[in-house]
Amino acid sequence: MARVYNWQIGREMSYWYPGNRPQRQFAAVFDTNKCIACQTCTLACKTTWTSGKGQEYMLWNNVETKPYGSYPLAWDLNLLKDLNGGKWNGKTYEGQTIFESAAAGERVQSWRPKTEDYSYPNVGEDDCAGAVDYGMSMDLPHMNWFYYLARICNHCTYPACLASCPRGSIYKRQEDGIVLVDQSRCRGYQECVKGCPYKKVYFNPMTGTSEKCIACFPKIEQGIQPQCFVNCIGKIRMAGFINTPDKAQAENPIDYLVHLRKIALPLYPQFGLEPNVYYIPPVHVPPPFLRQMFGPGVDAAIAAYRNSANDPDLAGLLSLFGSSEMLMTKWKRQGETVTGSNDKGQPMVSIPMKEPVFIRPAYDKLYQITRTNCP
Amino acid sequence: MRIHSSMLAVPAILLSLGILNGCGRKAERTNEVVAASAARLPLDPLDPAWAEAPGHVEKLILQDLVEPRLMKASTPEILVEALTSGSEIAFRLSWPDEAVNDLPGAGRFLDQCAVQIPRAIEADAPAPQMGEAGRPVEISFWRADWQASVDGRKDNINALFPNAAIDHYPFEAKPLDPGSSDQKEMATRYAPSQAVGNRRVGPRETPVEDLLAEGPGTLSPAPARISRGMGVRTKEGWAVVIIRKLPEGLTPRRRSAVAFAVWQGSEQEAGARKMRSGWVPLALRAAK
Repeated sequence: MARVYNWQIGREMSYWYPGNRPQRQFAAVFDTNKCIACQTCTLACKTTWTSGKGQEYMLWNNVETKPYGSYPLAWDLNLLKDLNGGKWNGKTYEGQTIFESAAAGERVQSWRPKTEDYSYPNVGEDDCAGAVDYGMSMDLPHMNWFYYLARICNHCTYPACLASCPRGSIYKRQEDGIVLVDQSRCRGYQECVKGCPYKKVYFNPMTGTSEKCIACFPKIEQGIQPQCFVNCIGKIRMAGFINTPDKAQAENPIDYLVHLRKIALPLYPQFGLEPNVYYIPPVHVPPPFLRQMFGPGVDAAIAAYRNSANDPDLAGLLSLFGSSEMLMTKWKRQGETVTGSNDKGQPMVSIPMKEPVFIRPAYDKLYQITRTNCP
Repeated sequence: MRIHSSMLAVPAILLSLGILNGCGRKAERTNEVVAASAARLPLDPLDPAWAEAPGHVEKLILQDLVEPRLMKASTPEILVEALTSGSEIAFRLSWPDEAVNDLPGAGRFLDQCAVQIPRAIEADAPAPQMGEAGRPVEISFWRADWQASVDGRKDNINALFPNAAIDHYPFEAKPLDPGSSDQKEMATRYAPSQAVGNRRVGPRETPVEDLLAEGPGTLSPAPARISRGMGVRTKEGWAVVIIRKLPEGLTPRRRSAVAFAVWQGSEQEAGARKMRSGWVPLALRAAK
């Protein structure tokens, strides 16, 4: 194995191939606090890419309720159990990644879902961490909690699917870091299905190959955000590109949220893949649970997010989420206006940080009727 | 469940493999794979003509060059019988396997076997692990699900999951006419490997695929089809016949080499997780 640097765990680690970062890396930020699990993202993906024969069970995008939801079943719990926790020392992960803990004969530590593990896409949906009983629901804050975790392929810097394939059928595009299965080369061994700790590669029994989220690369190539982003009615998502921390740019919205303000965190960074979907953690969930899921930056991220009402730049950038179909790789706040621009600096959208409020008189003189104003 | 080598003494295996052909013939055993001359090469593994074929029992070893790989042996050995017509050569492979694994799916794996022959006869054969750069091997590869497809299993999701209920495929809805080019074009949009001509896609006309390789990870489709085959279940496992063009330069006076591989679906074997042989001398027996 080669030695590569993984900034998310603050150290070098072992990987099957030498480090080869792409020219730019597709990345995204998901605000879990805004997600309502309407599954519009799931359906937008499904109708676009996975409505074929053999794809019936595939959810390249899914939304699961934590703590009990998971698709496929127990995708995270099984690996966490196998890794036996994992210890952080400050921002440095001192446990073993799945590449470092691989058994003899394997390239990564992993487990293989059974067919029936894909049978329960809604398991745990809206289930609280504990029972809400005996009038507890009448008091605030509620003692029990759940939240929604929307998941796509993380287009990892160090993909385990890519490392697992003995044929080299999976590749990471130099131009944008998107990870793809070469459908002409794949022979359906399912090593990638097993190797991906996020279980975001699916085997198609009708076409005999494995398939996965392609980050809607035909749209990315045209400067447009993927389907699950532009169809999100909660406006929880922003797509873009991320630099390494030493090259972070304040004008890059993903860099700003991840590297500079550190409010968006990777999913299970301790696995060692340097995943590139970053989550703003839910503010109402016990930190120990979140630290396990998003790493040691959780407390600071939540504090910064909670303070965003007093932080015009952060509030401004968060309000850009879902404001345009186009990729916004640059952003700028001027007073109360936030502008998202493309690579060339051309404005894609400008929005007010606070929407103007209009209050209509209850009585309409023109039509001589009274209307109810709904907020 | 596979049969562990520890469960079977060697004589018992030989006995069972002898029974596999079901031909009731005398069991001629050779130290190499010898193809006897035959006027007709039987495709059916249960054809009585196989009684005339000499047999060779080859021990299988773990594929140990490429990860991910098996760490524990599964199929202990394989019985290989061979016949030749002068223009083609037929191999009959049989091995014990208690379970039929011919349903593809997530977490499901298939029973498979392969015959490998170097493209050119040389003094030293290329590496038995799928050849070497510039020294290709020809591989004839059989899969149990392809056999089921050829034997009539329908090419739809209900054949794999009988209780599956499908609401709707967008390409099977009006105004697209069933079987029309527009309908097929739209269906192909949701079948990427089919769109790029990957041979994994069914339905299949033959259970055997011709491949070329120049080392591990280089397996690629052969430009021409030179093999055909047929697999059947026996009491003990699988019996598979693969008939292919006679290797270039192979004559009764000039040997080549042949190697074999077996995958047990019940052991989640696929790709590099396989049991293989080394090179075995391959000889033609001159017609009497």
